Amino acid sequence: MKTIISARRLCKKYGAFVAVDGISFDIEEGECFGFLGPNGAGKTSTVRMIHCVSPLTSGTLIVDGQAAHVDNRAVKQQTGVIPQEITLDSDLTVRENLQVHAHFFAIPRREARRRIDGLLQFVELEKRRDSKIDQLSTGMKRRLLIARALLNQPRILIADEPTTGLDPQARHLIWQRLRQLKDQGATLILTTQYMEEAQQLCDRIVIMHQGRILKEGAPARLIAAEIGREVTEIRSAADQDESLVAELGPLARGHERAGDTLYFYCDDGRPLMKKVLELDLPATVHRPASLEDVFLKLTGRNLVE
Amino acid sequence: MNFSRRIAWVFWRNMVSYKRFVLTTFLASLIQPLFYLVTFGIGMGAYLGQFGGKPYLYFLVPGVLTTSVMMSSSFECMYGTFVKMIHEKLYDSLIATPVSAEDAVAGDIAWGAFRGLVSGSLMMIVAIFMGILPVSLLSVLLLVLLMVFVGVLFGSLAMIVTSFAPNFDFFNYYSELVITPMLFFSGVFFPLDRFPGWMKALAQFMPLTHAVAVARAIFNGDYSRGLLLNFLVIFILGGAAFYFGVRRMKKRLIK
Ligand SMILES: Nc1ncnc2c1ncn2[C@@H]1O[C@H](COP(=O)(O)OP(=O)(O)OP(=O)(O)O)[C@@H](O)[C@H]1O
Ligand SMILES: [Mg+2]
Repeated sequence: MKTIISARRLCKKYGAFVAVDGISFDIEEGECFGFLGPNGAGKTSTVRMIHCVSPLTSGTLIVDGQAAHVDNRAVKQQTGVIPQEITLDSDLTVRENLQVHAHFFAIPRREARRRIDGLLQFVELEKRRDSKIDQLSTGMKRRLLIARALLNQPRILIADEPTTGLDPQARHLIWQRLRQLKDQGATLILTTQYMEEAQQLCDRIVIMHQGRILKEGAPARLIAAEIGREVTEIRSAADQDESLVAELGPLARGHERAGDTLYFYCDDGRPLMKKVLELDLPATVHRPASLEDVFLKLTGRNLVE
Repeated sequence: MNFSRRIAWVFWRNMVSYKRFVLTTFLASLIQPLFYLVTFGIGMGAYLGQFGGKPYLYFLVPGVLTTSVMMSSSFECMYGTFVKMIHEKLYDSLIATPVSAEDAVAGDIAWGAFRGLVSGSLMMIVAIFMGILPVSLLSVLLLVLLMVFVGVLFGSLAMIVTSFAPNFDFFNYYSELVITPMLFFSGVFFPLDRFPGWMKALAQFMPLTHAVAVARAIFNGDYSRGLLLNFLVIFILGGAAFYFGVRRMKKRLIK
């Protein structure tokens, strides 16, 4: 596969504040690459440099063979952006939003009309084509943002937390659409705080924290490497840790305390569960390990900001 | 500076949105100037009699017309742009397309100038209906051209203000400290030659003074050599304000 985006020691500072702290990564053409991280990790700052609206402070960033910089219209021409914030033009209707946007990409009028009809259908907004933006629900607005991002038939699609604030139906619809786009060969760059979203969509992810990349890999591999297959959660007071760890620790790969819960990570949870039953511990949950465990283990189970 | 033909499409975006409230803006941009025409022109004009061989209204109309261009283009590039930038995040979505920050800002200055042109033209039409006519068809065309320059000048100056504005209240300073004094000390309502020397000198620093001088000369067809200087001030100041307005706004938009 061909590398389409490549960053080396990429840095972004706002004044003295370091938002992105020397990260390096490669994104392959046609894959879905995810940036995971808590609030303020630097995800948006990173993708904004990729789509050439934010200058790099230092490092190199190559997008499709060209250096990324704020005046690079060629990169912008073939990139679609679903921004984190809803930046629709509220003075215009749904259709006008798309028409005006098509002009910015120099799409011929007739071709634009054809694409707009297709895209409105794709995001299931045909019936709302003449609605004003403030008459739309959040889910509809997010879908319109997707349609807008696809007008120029981008080779690179950047989706910055595309499902924040949506109900499960709307979220699943957006996931389906993003998967469809990937199947059509687009390179997808996703930022998210939802682990399920990353697991559903991403081939590879990086976990970011305070401007740095902590881990990189395929979601399943990361889970296996960092956590194992299963997790046991025991609600207990912290002063019991010593005795519990003495009993259960040898049967697990690792353990961690966060708030009122003690977590044990294991590859095979049966011996540990047997012990738990023997000890007759109430308030115990045994479940498969998820990306969320990796995320919380790496970025800390307590509030970051 | 990274300009392209997309400036025209940014302008076009404003046009698409404008069609919904065009009538209300007509009213809004007519009321204040009409107010001046009635109170000063008809009310005071009755006492003033002839002014350089013509009724006072011939003196007043070009001044009010220029003022209304200034007002419309300034307010469009302050309040209009600020809403688009901060409240609607429109600039963010513009610069994520091949539109550069320079294109976006220049398109909005052009839009501000257009709004000024519309207001000024409406004024001219009202004046014509009142029987106050520019001397010739050529004057009308020259006035239109002048209004475009004046619109770019004041739109750009307003854009500089907007680039610093933390919130709406900030615009009050500019309106109260710059726009309003200009209205009264730029020879819109009275000729400057009756003012004391220091005030005349001060007036030369107000861009509106020069704009009004040129507009009045064109309207009445009495050209003099001094006008060249007035026009140069508009042209050079307009160019400089445009340059700095775009540059300052780019700095604010690109982080
Ligand atoms: N324009 C700016 N000026 C100053 N600081 C900024 C600016 N934009 C972002 N930051 C800071 O940089 C850090 C990283 O922000 P960024 O938006 O990239 O994070 P994020 O991972 O996208 O977070 P979120 O999940 O909340 O969107 C944050 O601490 C933020 O406050
Ligand atoms: Mg973000």
